[in-house]
Amino acid sequence: MIRLQPHTKIVLLAIVSCLVILLDSPIALFVCFLVSLCFQALIPPSWHQMRLLILFIGLGTWGLIYSQAIFYNEFPRTVIFTLIHKDTPIIGGMTGGVHLYREGLLHGTVQSLRFNTTLTISCFIIWTTQPRDLLLTLVKLRVPYSLAFMVTTGLRYIPLIGSEAKTVIRSQQLRGFRYLQFNFLHTISGILNSLRPILTNNIRRATHLSEAVESRAFAPDAAHRTSLRELKTGQPDVILITLLLVCLLSVIGLKSVYFLYANGLYYASWLRGAYTFAREVL
Amino acid sequence: MGGIEIENLHFTYPSRNTPTLRGIEAKVDLEAFILLTGPTGCGKSTLLRTLNGLIPHASGGKLSGSVRVNGASVAEQPIAVTCQQVGLLFQNPEEQLFCLIVEDEVAFGLENLGLSSHEINQRIDSALTQVGLAEFRSRQIASLSSGQKQRVALACVCAMQPQILLLDEPTSYLDPQATYDILAIIRDLNRKLGITVIVVGHQVNEIAPLCSRVWLMNEGKLVSDLPIDQAFTDLKPYSQLGVQVPELAQIAEQLGFPERPLTLNHAVRLFENSPQDPKQSRFYQAEASDRLLSPDSASEEDGLADLTPSVTPSNPENPVNPDNIVASVQGLTFRYPQKGSQEPSSADALKNISFQVKPGEVVAIMGANGSGKTTLFLQLISLLRPSAGQVLIKGQDTRRSKPRHLAGQVGIVFQNPDLLLQAATVAEEVAFGPKNFRLARQEVEERLEKILRMFDLEALKMEVPYALSRGQRQRTAVAANFSLYPDLLLLDEPTTGQDYYHLQQLMQMLCDTMKTQNKTVIFCTHDVHLTLTYANRVLLLHRGALIFDGTPDAAFANPEYLKQASLVPPLTMQLQGFQNDTPPASHENRSPRNR
Repeated sequence: MIRLQPHTKIVLLAIVSCLVILLDSPIALFVCFLVSLCFQALIPPSWHQMRLLILFIGLGTWGLIYSQAIFYNEFPRTVIFTLIHKDTPIIGGMTGGVHLYREGLLHGTVQSLRFNTTLTISCFIIWTTQPRDLLLTLVKLRVPYSLAFMVTTGLRYIPLIGSEAKTVIRSQQLRGFRYLQFNFLHTISGILNSLRPILTNNIRRATHLSEAVESRAFAPDAAHRTSLRELKTGQPDVILITLLLVCLLSVIGLKSVYFLYANGLYYASWLRGAYTFAREVL
Repeated sequence: MGGIEIENLHFTYPSRNTPTLRGIEAKVDLEAFILLTGPTGCGKSTLLRTLNGLIPHASGGKLSGSVRVNGASVAEQPIAVTCQQVGLLFQNPEEQLFCLIVEDEVAFGLENLGLSSHEINQRIDSALTQVGLAEFRSRQIASLSSGQKQRVALACVCAMQPQILLLDEPTSYLDPQATYDILAIIRDLNRKLGITVIVVGHQVNEIAPLCSRVWLMNEGKLVSDLPIDQAFTDLKPYSQLGVQVPELAQIAEQLGFPERPLTLNHAVRLFENSPQDPKQSRFYQAEASDRLLSPDSASEEDGLADLTPSVTPSNPENPVNPDNIVASVQGLTFRYPQKGSQEPSSADALKNISFQVKPGEVVAIMGANGSGKTTLFLQLISLLRPSAGQVLIKGQDTRRSKPRHLAGQVGIVFQNPDLLLQAATVAEEVAFGPKNFRLARQEVEERLEKILRMFDLEALKMEVPYALSRGQRQRTAVAANFSLYPDLLLLDEPTTGQDYYHLQQLMQMLCDTMKTQNKTVIFCTHDVHLTLTYANRVLLLHRGALIFDGTPDAAFANPEYLKQASLVPPLTMQLQGFQNDTPPASHENRSPRNR
């Protein structure tokens, strides 16, 4: 597997985030999504990680497409399916009818591709970068050391918090508490009560960790801090960053040219191919 | 001027009215090895924090008096300077390690000091060699055992090259073998490198033989500061405070010897020269009645060196009525899913385990760190499901039953009791279960009153559970589970962070009550003494396999089982072994592991 430096991965995320905002076409966004999946394939993820990614992508896609298809309020919009007719007693009058719109579906698809692409790249970064390397990168990117340390240490403890939450929930259940019950207030109060031990335990852990860190000469400003490891940019990093920058600049260029043309500000006949490409593909 | 000088030290935590430290006066010479002991909450950990500068630099509160290390005031110099002179190792390795790789963890402090990468590399190698982990430099911390993690934490401290080492209950999460490994390293650091050591710990049998002095604290005061040869001459101050004393010193006092042996060899020499037969002593007889000494079973089992598992869960001639089984584990195998990798985990956490537990039994599950004790507990509460085999609780298969089916039948108190405490007051915590079962108000109140009285929590019933001491929190957690009168109560490492007095009080009351009501208690522990005193059955686990199921006497009489389960028999039993010329595994004749 090609090893990428963490700062390259951060640049990758930044550029991909820009690209998915700049691009509007489902085809181009789908290509971006496929590229992000290729990065995942480089790891490759474990079955557990794959299940998690599929779950997040599935939920994101369904939620965004479904909500946009129903609640799309731009015009023109074309009804492709009616869920609740406006003549349905009571609920029809109250809602004015609930329909699925074609434009909403398309918009939801675009939004979900944007979301899924950045999610997939983020997972790639988290699953392939050690917190310590991430810390070094963030510091290199001039994020304050104390903040970067906090973020990376927090990431490290997420799985532990998850397992503690399971333990708390099970111990409540063994004491007869039911999370799902008709009394909604009871359910909410039970959930809040379950948060209490998790929070308390984490505060206690954070206190102990901070003492351990302070006892090892931690200084928030890290003015004199050195590092055992150094981040060295290799050939794969240079190639990837160059490719990404070329992609980003090309999209910006093509979009700008098309914007000038579409608004009647500038037109050149030799750019007709670019106009077509920007309109049809980007 | 070297060492530590403490003058009239007072400290009060923020939001507390009473001081935690009250006028501590002491002097620590270079190369000293001090055992700091006292009841829970007496201020031992606070005192250590004042010595390395965490108090006042990283803490609020009011500090007066002075602490000087090598002549410099700790309160006046930055903590980054003090931590190069005074290193502090904490109790729980999980809470002080935050990197993924061993070398990164050890490098953290050195990077903070701004050392060059060449110097950092040298110090990492040296520190890891000191703790016997030279080969582990590139290993993932998550793949290490608890003992190895604590050694990594010790390496982090050693890498800062302190002259003084403070250890705050460094072995309370470790099995006896790992405890021995850590203490052996600390002893070497003290004797070979001349590092001054102050250690807080309840395991006095293991620590006392290494010490040059003993400090006894109570209510924020240093009530005695004596050299080791005089420290245990009078055991009354310790017993009055409920503080454990070395077992051999206690035997010597009971036998009327003026000397206080701390090592087995010393005790054997002392008792051999005695005209009195130690076995005839009042102490021995009392211990024997608690099954601490069971000459018959010991002599029968001595010499059994084969590794064949001795698992006799039930008598086939007297089959147990299936309706009368609280928990039945049959062919249980479990493998944790490996996260972050396509490969399955390297080993089964539990391997083909079978046993049955009947009402009224008190069962101890023992084994080294990572042998599968907690995993087995999680199976019994169906938080984990078997990969193969089955677990039946009161006849219900945990793979098919929902948590609510086990509610009220099984209670569990985790090693960390805080995970159970969710209510605003102790009374609400205890009443939580009965209320969930919609018991009549009068019955809830009656149970509450009874259980608060039983667990000595009446005075604390309106207190916030999190604000209590660890021992009180654990009592509250046990009481909260007990309020449902479960058929099966599981206690995960009840000894952690508990002093001897509170532990005995809790276990005695719990086991008596559960036995009286024909209920079952299963606890997992490394403490052989606890098992011998309270359990009538022990399950020994070794790398996920059940290697022994039988009476504690039979288990502890076999050195091979003890070795596999990483256990050390009580010193009284070891002493008897010496008299029988077959010394069981002890700290004095053990070899370190992974070194």
